[in-house]
Amino acid sequence: MHDAVIAPGGEDLTVDVRNLTRVEGEGSLHLRVRGGAVESAQLEIFEAPRYFERLVVGRSMDEVIDIVARICGICPVAYQMTAVHAAESAFDIEVDPATVALRRLLYCGEWIESHALHIYLLHLPDLLGYPSALDLAQHERPTVEGGLRLKRAGNAIVARIGGRAIHPVSVRVGGFSRVIRRDEITSLRADLAEAMDLAEATVDLVGSLEPPAFRRDGRLVALRAPDTYPMNHGRIVSNDGLDLAVSDWESMFEERQVAWSHALQAHGRDGRPYLLGPSSRVTLDADQLHPRASAALTRIGLADAIAHEPNWSIAARAVELVHAVAQAIDIVDAYEPPAKGSVPWLPRAGTAAWATEAPRGLLFQRFGLDADGRVMEARIVPPTSQNQAAIEADLALFAPTILDRPHEEITHLLEQLIRSYDPCISCATHFLDLKVEDLP
Amino acid sequence: MNAVLDIAPAVRGPDVDVRQDVVHHPVSTTLVEVLACGGPDRGDDAAAVIAVARLADALPEDVRTRLVGQLDIDDLLAVAPGAGAIVVDTAVGIDPGWIVEIPFSGLVGRESGIRPRSSHALSIPETIGVASIIRGRPLQGMVVAIGGVDFGLGEALSWPVATAMDAFVLAIADAVSRVRGLVLSAKPNL
Repeated sequence: MHDAVIAPGGEDLTVDVRNLTRVEGEGSLHLRVRGGAVESAQLEIFEAPRYFERLVVGRSMDEVIDIVARICGICPVAYQMTAVHAAESAFDIEVDPATVALRRLLYCGEWIESHALHIYLLHLPDLLGYPSALDLAQHERPTVEGGLRLKRAGNAIVARIGGRAIHPVSVRVGGFSRVIRRDEITSLRADLAEAMDLAEATVDLVGSLEPPAFRRDGRLVALRAPDTYPMNHGRIVSNDGLDLAVSDWESMFEERQVAWSHALQAHGRDGRPYLLGPSSRVTLDADQLHPRASAALTRIGLADAIAHEPNWSIAARAVELVHAVAQAIDIVDAYEPPAKGSVPWLPRAGTAAWATEAPRGLLFQRFGLDADGRVMEARIVPPTSQNQAAIEADLALFAPTILDRPHEEITHLLEQLIRSYDPCISCATHFLDLKVEDLP
Repeated sequence: MNAVLDIAPAVRGPDVDVRQDVVHHPVSTTLVEVLACGGPDRGDDAAAVIAVARLADALPEDVRTRLVGQLDIDDLLAVAPGAGAIVVDTAVGIDPGWIVEIPFSGLVGRESGIRPRSSHALSIPETIGVASIIRGRPLQGMVVAIGGVDFGLGEALSWPVATAMDAFVLAIADAVSRVRGLVLSAKPNL
């Protein structure tokens, strides 16, 4: 439901998009235009604060892994991976190489299900001219069926390794709660082979789309690892020369309270917004893509558009689908179980800090730990909190180019732009709604 | 009740899984599947899980219950061919402790409404609508939802929800009875 009013012939406007649809969570957009120029663009996140940083205080890191997974039903693995790596870094634990591979496979599963969901059910209706996923399914049923099969392949990986498809329970400090047998992993192979064809077809499908034109030069931030496309590890890099350890996130970035949002907003310490997620990763880490994903990116020729045009994020997501499926197949084929589910470890006092690449971008967590390894204080910075300022900055740049259009079209284009970032508002605390009003 | 989604599928076909790689089960003894959404550890989000657990032993053998956490299109595609479904969930937008019963057919046009607190990326009406289209035939069933207010991790049911649990269980039982009757009437040989 939208409630949009544009002053007839006027240049002073307020645009409110209430209850943005097809995003994860609940929020709205308030856009204020004075004299034809955008005065402010505010993503209003009214999801109630969820206090997870307080809930983990007094808990062991094994408990933290299961608690933080509950922050999100779409990307629980990202929360678990970040917490477990933070703990293992603080306790100086070296895990079995098979554990490293299994965790990467688990993360591939989450990327596949999250990207397939966003491409096929949330973003594609916009770009194929359908008002909802329901209309898309009605008119393009085989397309949606393919997307659901892809998503299913991702769900199957998470369920197999994590014990269940949502809020997995098997990740433990030092490894997993049990040894995962080879036959459990190889049974994923057939569905992944089909998923590979579907993922490559997805790239070709999105390559044929014509999203609204909007080009800007933004600051892009992602992890970068020397040996692989970033998921579980790497250094924080940007397209303007930043290069720092994951544990040092707070040295270059900070969170701020803004009056219109229950979620904290992150900025660079220099005040600049920055963008995380698939477009940033594909731009900053293209040379680390799996050869099949790299070939797919070359085939559609959209690397430059991905770097500069937010509406082309769907192409970055499709390329990453190919990457995640191809990497999952490689891991499945090479998997040899570890001797034990997890390695022994001892807790100690210190700081556990890490960042991994959630489907929507870099997720940072830091825990202050006592001598028993229990949490004394915590900071959790989800990707949507970090992208919020960049989304607002892009809306302020994009809006003036469309303000001469009918209000329904303005609303649709602004909503569409917001959806292109795949915001997970429930992670950031939880949705969007557009209003255009005369200013005195 | 005419529990039929008023959505014309692009292709009408038999009520079977359309994937070619799936073994089909032409005869199913399940008449109704009760899908309990939510989780036991987040306050009022546990209401559906608790209510369905209380009801499970009293249900006919041809009624199956499943815990689905967040309702996903795949959960509805997995409903046996010809069977009906009851989606049980906690929702916001309803006064705490109040119960609503809506046939799937009544969800048409409410695609942005009835959002479960756990915030599925698609709303329940969209999820049910897309699943019906993919199944190739409208899915018979109902949503039974209770208004929730407290969803904090580790919290108990809120007072308004806790005191409405008996009524919630009865509402689910009534929905099962109605949908089961519809399914049976569509299968005269059973």
